[in-house]
Amino acid sequence: MDEKELLALLAGLEEPAVLATIVAARGSTPRKTGARMLVGERGVIAGTVGGGCAEGEVIEAALKLFADGGPRTVRVDLTDDLTSWSPAVCGGVMDVFVERANPERFPEPC
Amino acid sequence: MNPSPAQVAARVIAATERGERIYAAVVTASPDPSLIGRRRWLSRGRHGGTLGSPSLDGEVAAALPALFPPRESRGALSRDFDYRDGDRPGTATVYIELHGPPAGMVIVGAGHIAVPLSRLGDMLALRVEVLDDRPAFANRDRFPAASAVRVIDFRDPFADTPLAPRDHVVLVTRGHSFDYECLVRLLRMASRPHYIGMIGSRRRVRATHEQLLREGFAPEDMGRVRAPVGLDLGGRTPAEIAVAVAAEIIMLRAGGTGVPLVEKERVVERFFGGRNPAGAAPSRSSDE
Repeated sequence: MDEKELLALLAGLEEPAVLATIVAARGSTPRKTGARMLVGERGVIAGTVGGGCAEGEVIEAALKLFADGGPRTVRVDLTDDLTSWSPAVCGGVMDVFVERANPERFPEPC
Repeated sequence: MNPSPAQVAARVIAATERGERIYAAVVTASPDPSLIGRRRWLSRGRHGGTLGSPSLDGEVAAALPALFPPRESRGALSRDFDYRDGDRPGTATVYIELHGPPAGMVIVGAGHIAVPLSRLGDMLALRVEVLDDRPAFANRDRFPAASAVRVIDFRDPFADTPLAPRDHVVLVTRGHSFDYECLVRLLRMASRPHYIGMIGSRRRVRATHEQLLREGFAPEDMGRVRAPVGLDLGGRTPAEIAVAVAAEIIMLRAGGTGVPLVEKERVVERFFGGRNPAGAAPSRSSDE
């Protein structure tokens, strides 16, 4: 899904969703500042912030926003030891901002 | 009410369809937690929402021209801002996106190379337009990925195709005299496209430059033309040539070097004391 399609989906989305946006990236990261992902109550709807473990962390943070609405920044560290065989060895750090994409669609507006 | 990401997305779609630039800003961090998530959008003469402080709104608006050069049609970054409301100073980290009408790829000459190139241009999110004077070639069936396909008169090839500095023009007409006519028009434009590429052998390119010189153009003007067009990939087929042209456009937009990454990074040589696995590709040159 390209950016234009994601924007159109975001603008017309009826189910409540959380938007995750990479707002800052330093070093080597799989996706750069501006990359986005839409997360619904049952998981990712569209887009990606890079995949792998890092994305799992972001999804977890996004899902919390269905319970409590506060937008926040999640720092994802991809600078694990190279010998660890972890997928997080790209060598970068990224800040991902998570917020309700369409608060008007949530049962209790915040 | 604070505009939601979904509402701002609708604004972005409407603005870019009108051919306008639009900025969307959101506070992502601040010692004042009430600002986090506050959002504001700005496009030509219109705006909505607030970052939670009139002074912060003003600081962000004033910084935009320096943060996003006029040629860019897309951008995303975060910056820290200081602001002051009355005697209450504050700081905030603001994430700002620019969405603009996509840069164009105007392909003049609807022949063999135009077909794969129009598809690549579309994949690169460029607005693709194909121009030719032959209706049999300049038709929509041949170019499903193009936003516009136009039958033109080479005496005034860009009459119905407005061009801006952010656009890319690739001259691949069937005859070098047509390429030349387009080139003269392009070089005389007040706001000419930043990428002007022309296909041709070394000999034909040299002949074109000699003709430009006779016409009164300066070598600086000639230097603005990317001819022969494309990176040296060694390809010969229309698809291979189209990839070489698309690669050059990516390189210039993204600020790359065009050098193979294995040679740029030299990981084996740097960290293992070995030789670089791949040497430079043999150059193909011939004297004319």
